[in-house]
Amino acid sequence: MSTVIIRPASSAWLHLGDHLVRLREYTDLLHTLSLHRISVRYKQTSLGVLWAVLQPLLMMVIFTGVFSVLAKMPSEGAPYALFAYTALLPWTFFSTTVANATNSLVTHTHLITRVYFPREILPITYLIAGVFDFAIGFFVLLGLMAWFHVPLTLQMWNLIPVIALLAAWSLSVSLVLAVVQVRFRDIGVALPVLLQLWMFGSPIIYPLSALPESWRTWYLLNPMAGIVSSCRDILLRGVAPDPVPLRFAMIVTVIALPIAYLFFKRAEATMADLI
Amino acid sequence: MIDVRFEHVSKRYRLRQHARYPARREQEFWAVRDLSFDVQHGETVGLIGHNGAGKSTILKLLSRITAPTAGTITLNGRLAALIEVGSGFHPELTGRENIFLSGSILGMKRREIARKLDRIIEFSGVERFVDMPVKWYSSGMFVRLGFSVAAHLEADILLVDEVLAVGDAAFQIRCYERIGELRRAGTTMLFISHDLVSIEKLSDRVMLMDHGRLVASGEPRAIVREYQQLVASTYASDVADAVMPSGTGVARITDVRFLKRDGGEIFSTCTGDPLRALVDIDITSLVHDAVVEVFYYSRDGRTLHCQQSTALSGGPFSLAPGRRRLEFTCESMGLQPGIYAIGATVRERGGARTIDWWYGGGVLAVEPGKSVRGHFYAPHEWRWADAGNAPEHHPADV
Repeated sequence: MSTVIIRPASSAWLHLGDHLVRLREYTDLLHTLSLHRISVRYKQTSLGVLWAVLQPLLMMVIFTGVFSVLAKMPSEGAPYALFAYTALLPWTFFSTTVANATNSLVTHTHLITRVYFPREILPITYLIAGVFDFAIGFFVLLGLMAWFHVPLTLQMWNLIPVIALLAAWSLSVSLVLAVVQVRFRDIGVALPVLLQLWMFGSPIIYPLSALPESWRTWYLLNPMAGIVSSCRDILLRGVAPDPVPLRFAMIVTVIALPIAYLFFKRAEATMADLI
Repeated sequence: MIDVRFEHVSKRYRLRQHARYPARREQEFWAVRDLSFDVQHGETVGLIGHNGAGKSTILKLLSRITAPTAGTITLNGRLAALIEVGSGFHPELTGRENIFLSGSILGMKRREIARKLDRIIEFSGVERFVDMPVKWYSSGMFVRLGFSVAAHLEADILLVDEVLAVGDAAFQIRCYERIGELRRAGTTMLFISHDLVSIEKLSDRVMLMDHGRLVASGEPRAIVREYQQLVASTYASDVADAVMPSGTGVARITDVRFLKRDGGEIFSTCTGDPLRALVDIDITSLVHDAVVEVFYYSRDGRTLHCQQSTALSGGPFSLAPGRRRLEFTCESMGLQPGIYAIGATVRERGGARTIDWWYGGGVLAVEPGKSVRGHFYAPHEWRWADAGNAPEHHPADV
């Protein structure tokens, strides 16, 4: 028979192992809720899952129109549409995951105040739903690459660790913002603006090379910079990603994720009282 | 074996006064203070106490919805809470899909849900609509389905919170039966209810909470009695504040007391038992055509019962100066179990003028007697009405 020891809220910082074991016990819930997210996301929309394809494509068309045709942004020799799309794919994943996950706790108040389950499951389900959209967007990307005659190379496999890094970073940000949102609903209001700023602070519409050398170190502390530029290296040029930006992104994420998780678990202990 | 152990558990809530500066002006409130107790394997423990005594906090701590501020809680075995989780439903999904969704939210494995699916659907009584999106459900169906999922959790320790508040009478009986079934199967249970009768009936032991502390624990009947006394004392002062003194001074009610059949004073009685009420009145000058009344109030101040010296059709009744004592007798008192505040008035019949209004903090506790269902008890008998049987009469004692 399993023995459970419920400890004071203040000790939640200390039991990382316990938290992970408990999360594993709830894999079934994670599974069911994630499928649920995906299945209800496009329910009641007439285009259904087609939206997962349309969203990034429309963004690409708009960005190409505004930033390439009008603003004449450099794109390191690649077709601008593809240049934008390779960045929009990871960026959309990041921004929608963070936006959904930030609200995930407050939109499930009725569950949080009545039933226990590891609360991180809520933001994680939005992350998983994001992976589903990402996968669809990726097939569109393959189509675009064929259209623009950009060859696929074996470097593609390098994309897997980069996507894992993207997911880990998105999760770190989501966990922290979701908790802050419980206490200060201001975050939810400010988030669209914040994400917009963040996008301009990442190499989405312009290449990393367009940046002055002196800004680089500070700029790269934003893991999205390393992640997006790595995607472009791999997909557009078919080369191994530049190690410097990628390493920055990795170090920041590896430090951030455990801290974010423990911060979340500490807040979780009394979340039901505040929400 | 001990299934649940609380060791010096405290829970503090901070009440925020100011939304913009949450750090400032926080008020502290200890919902549970230094609480220690054990629950044995297979034991059913009822928690009682007035609102805010800490009962719900105990269940919240046990179910891990919120963590204690200090102390530790040890649980042996799988814990589940029998609560209504219809709010975990998604309106677009069918009843069946929602069973899977809310089942896994409650911690059931998919396989376990699949195995119990038929039983859950049958229990809820929504068979015909189970493949329809729940947004088309009536609120009753919604609640029943949500509750049915929770009722089929496999648990070693079960928390039950006001189960009787859910669904219609037939469904409540089914819930009761389910609780009994789980209890016989050896499930350890903790439950909260404002219904003292069911607490007394179902528990092996009752714990009485007051202001976040455990004040008594033991044999259900004795603890429920203790609780009623506790309520009576706080209750009396509550109602006293609400009633304003008045009077013209011609007559004054000095006391209202209750007596046993043989004459001893009592503070509690049972539903259906005989009751004698004595009203002492000081009269200084003659009152023509008076009415004396004794009121029985519920906690929310409603008059549930009133005994009058003169029915509307009766002749005039005058009060001559002096010390007088009136007795109201009742063969079978119809109030259901609970605590009632007592008041009394002397007034002129017809005229709205009240001569005196007594409220001396009188309380009558009524315990389960001849009836436990319905709003009130009325004396009744039964007999065989078919021709083959002798017309023998039976008093209808429950």
